[in-house]
Amino acid sequence: MADYAPVDATVDNLVTFELNGRTVSAPPGTMLVDAAYAAGVEVPIFCYEPRLGPPIGACRMCLVEIEGMRGLQTACNTPVAQDMVVTTNSPNVKDAHDGILELLLVQHPLDCPVCDKGGECPLQDRTFRFGPGKSRFVEPKRHWPKPLELSSRIALDRERCIRCFRCVRFSQEVAQDGQLTMQERGAASEITTFSGDAYEARFSGNIVDICPVGALTSIPYRFVARPWEVTNTPSVCGLCPVGCNTELTTREGDLKRVTGRDDPNYAVEEGWLCDKGRWGYDIIHSPTRLQAPVIREAAGDRTASLEDTLPAVAGLVAGRRVGILLGGGATLEEAGIALDLASGALAGAVVSRLGIPAGGLSALRARPSADLGEIDEADVVVVVGGDPAAQQPVVELRLRKARRFGATVIGAGPRPHALETLGEFTRSAPGALADAIGTFGAPVAAAANPVVLWDEADLAADPAAVDALDALLSGTPNARQIELGTDVNGAGLQALGISTDGVLAAIADHALDALVCVHADPLGAAGRTAWADALASFDGPVVALATHETATTARADIVLPAFTMWEQDGTIVSMTGRAQRLRPGAQGPDEAAAGWELLVALAHYLGAPPVYRTAAAAFAYTAARTPALAGLTADVIGTEGARIGTRPDVSDGSRGVAEGAGLELVATHDQFGDVQTADSHALRTAFQPPAVRVHPATAAAGGIEAGALVVLTSPIGRSERLPLIADDRVPEGVVLAPLGAPGAPVEGALAVDRHRIRVRMERG
Amino acid sequence: MTADQIRAHIDPIRHEFAEPRSLVLPALKFAQTEKGHLTREDLEAVSAATGFSAAFVESVASFYDRLYLEPTGTRVVSVCVTLSCMLRGADEVWERLCDREGVSHHGGTTGDGRITIQEAQCLGYCDRAPCIQVDADETVGPMTPESAGQLVDDLRVAPAPDEFWR
Repeated sequence: MADYAPVDATVDNLVTFELNGRTVSAPPGTMLVDAAYAAGVEVPIFCYEPRLGPPIGACRMCLVEIEGMRGLQTACNTPVAQDMVVTTNSPNVKDAHDGILELLLVQHPLDCPVCDKGGECPLQDRTFRFGPGKSRFVEPKRHWPKPLELSSRIALDRERCIRCFRCVRFSQEVAQDGQLTMQERGAASEITTFSGDAYEARFSGNIVDICPVGALTSIPYRFVARPWEVTNTPSVCGLCPVGCNTELTTREGDLKRVTGRDDPNYAVEEGWLCDKGRWGYDIIHSPTRLQAPVIREAAGDRTASLEDTLPAVAGLVAGRRVGILLGGGATLEEAGIALDLASGALAGAVVSRLGIPAGGLSALRARPSADLGEIDEADVVVVVGGDPAAQQPVVELRLRKARRFGATVIGAGPRPHALETLGEFTRSAPGALADAIGTFGAPVAAAANPVVLWDEADLAADPAAVDALDALLSGTPNARQIELGTDVNGAGLQALGISTDGVLAAIADHALDALVCVHADPLGAAGRTAWADALASFDGPVVALATHETATTARADIVLPAFTMWEQDGTIVSMTGRAQRLRPGAQGPDEAAAGWELLVALAHYLGAPPVYRTAAAAFAYTAARTPALAGLTADVIGTEGARIGTRPDVSDGSRGVAEGAGLELVATHDQFGDVQTADSHALRTAFQPPAVRVHPATAAAGGIEAGALVVLTSPIGRSERLPLIADDRVPEGVVLAPLGAPGAPVEGALAVDRHRIRVRMERG
Repeated sequence: MTADQIRAHIDPIRHEFAEPRSLVLPALKFAQTEKGHLTREDLEAVSAATGFSAAFVESVASFYDRLYLEPTGTRVVSVCVTLSCMLRGADEVWERLCDREGVSHHGGTTGDGRITIQEAQCLGYCDRAPCIQVDADETVGPMTPESAGQLVDDLRVAPAPDEFWR
């Protein structure tokens, strides 16, 4: 992993020192290991990991000779100094390397041939490169029962552990879950949790990436592949709008592993992935995965080949008034081709997207924005609404890091969340964030480098808060904003100017003859009641292009199976406005294809072959016609991503309406409680079953005890039955409900445009 | 022991510790006085009283020899086996005591559950080597295998202490 911190040699006041006889410069404060690495000299390390906070010098591997200092010094916690004379290749240093490695290997089993880490193991590599090649230790080595299951996803082989403390520091300093510790002392030390409990945390998988030996391994990847028979592809995670940069490990056409990149993207995730992004990929093999096209006829369903199905789809939509509905996860390529179809082969087609209307939020989005990486440098971080720990998991690590670096974290919002312990948070009534935003003016104005995070759903439902926040941002020119978005590619679809209005209204007006859903599940999304009503009286054909079975594929007349985000090329834009490329790390089902390919094929069958034949060309074609994507090509985006321009103003949605009477419904999408996590075998112990939460007084007022099943009824529709949890952190008069859970239990009570809704809570 | 009891013990001494983490140790020692060892519930109570995670509290407890995560005998007899005592015959005191009480030469608890015998590193009584400490009481010495056996016999019939300070 990112063993050495990047060194920025472009700053002023560089410190110049001598390294192995050469003159080298680095910024003051740079640790010697990093400065040396940047100058092309590898000082071997095990415990040093710049992302884990201050160096601890535990492994002693990085000893170097510094003129004027007695004995050898650890380069990982020695900052460079002017005119320092450093030697990393003297006989003394070589002797130290031999000694330390011989010591580290005293209890190490050297079972590299059967170890998952073998071939990509820092201990193995550095032993070959810097080690003695021979040990004098002939006594029997210690054996532990192995492996120990630290959790259902992580195995611990204690005899391989060299006690570098990386995993403990990750748990204590970075994730701050406080679960992993080193117990006992000296030679008996071992990594463990409290009383040997399972290590259940949302970022636990990162300890596998940072373990410099084979002590911590991923159970789903255990004995699955060897490093020399796999290919690793840089890609991006498409499970939430954060857009973490990932690496996909492929063996024989199948995706075997997802990890953070060796070279992390410091602007986005800094190499840390949440467990969902790391292990959720097994849903590509879930039983609900669509394997082949389905044609639904009066005689019954039949599966067909793509070759037969695509002409059938073309026949259904050719010359008709077509609506194309894009899901929040549709790529820029898919959306761009849909727009191209609407202006050519399917002229007049209505294209819209599922999601939260952009109307009203454009002003905020146009304010100077920051990448997630810039949260680190902020001195004041404001969180307006939302629940980033649940909805955009990796943001949690950034906020914790900013707090560790001394930033003040403040915020307000209608729901209690895990990050409120980081600073001063106030609870606002739903739709009344504006007052709280008013109190942030002073701290933000006084800050040198403030960053404001705001929740798309909460702000979209609260026009007064949008105005207050816009005033706050416009009044403090050094403030930058980060949107806590909802949809994986929501920002990309907004960049294309695609509105949330259109298709639903056109269906209701009987202005459409056919509906094509592209990764969209209107019958399982917020406002599904309105969609169900509209589709009930819609007698035109419904075509669903999807990866998994959904309520919409069950209703569709033709189902086109598409590749998942792990199997296809594509471009998605993260919530911070960063266009990043998906690359395939697995071969999809034989009778499926990438969404963009299916749409291109459809254009061919409609007799209007497009000018592009690849995803990259389709992207270039779309980008050339989209001001917000001007100048972007697949090459420009590269592996690191590139920021998009200002998104066009779209006036959609109905702002600020509050409907109904009773309890205010506040919805949160817990990434670990949604249908994807439920579908993943690896994440089965991480799944948070859906429940609604209210204040105990609210429950008592309704005469309902905790644990009972309740139904929420809004003027729009009803929820499914969900268990009730009494939680005194929830404000009275509010009901917290889970979005995205299996079966979409609360979506039916919500409005399509996610405006504020009040509900009646009854025993169900 | 409950978190409130532990808070009542550490709150008056809180000001003596510049580093809040240091309070974990007196809290653990106090929590142990109830049963003579620390259970999962005790560790959780210390965690609640000090604000550090239960895993951290357990790691501290596991580091120190005098904090017990497994049940011990009513009294704990620590035989010093560091240099001065060893030169004056601590090895013989240790082995004979272990044999006499029927525990292995790694130490252990007697069959009747009354006495735990353990090795200790230097207790600071080199002038009275070889020495033995009972719980956290005063250290006695110089010992012979015979006087050590007598000491254990006396402890066996003595009433159990009200609080287990170790």
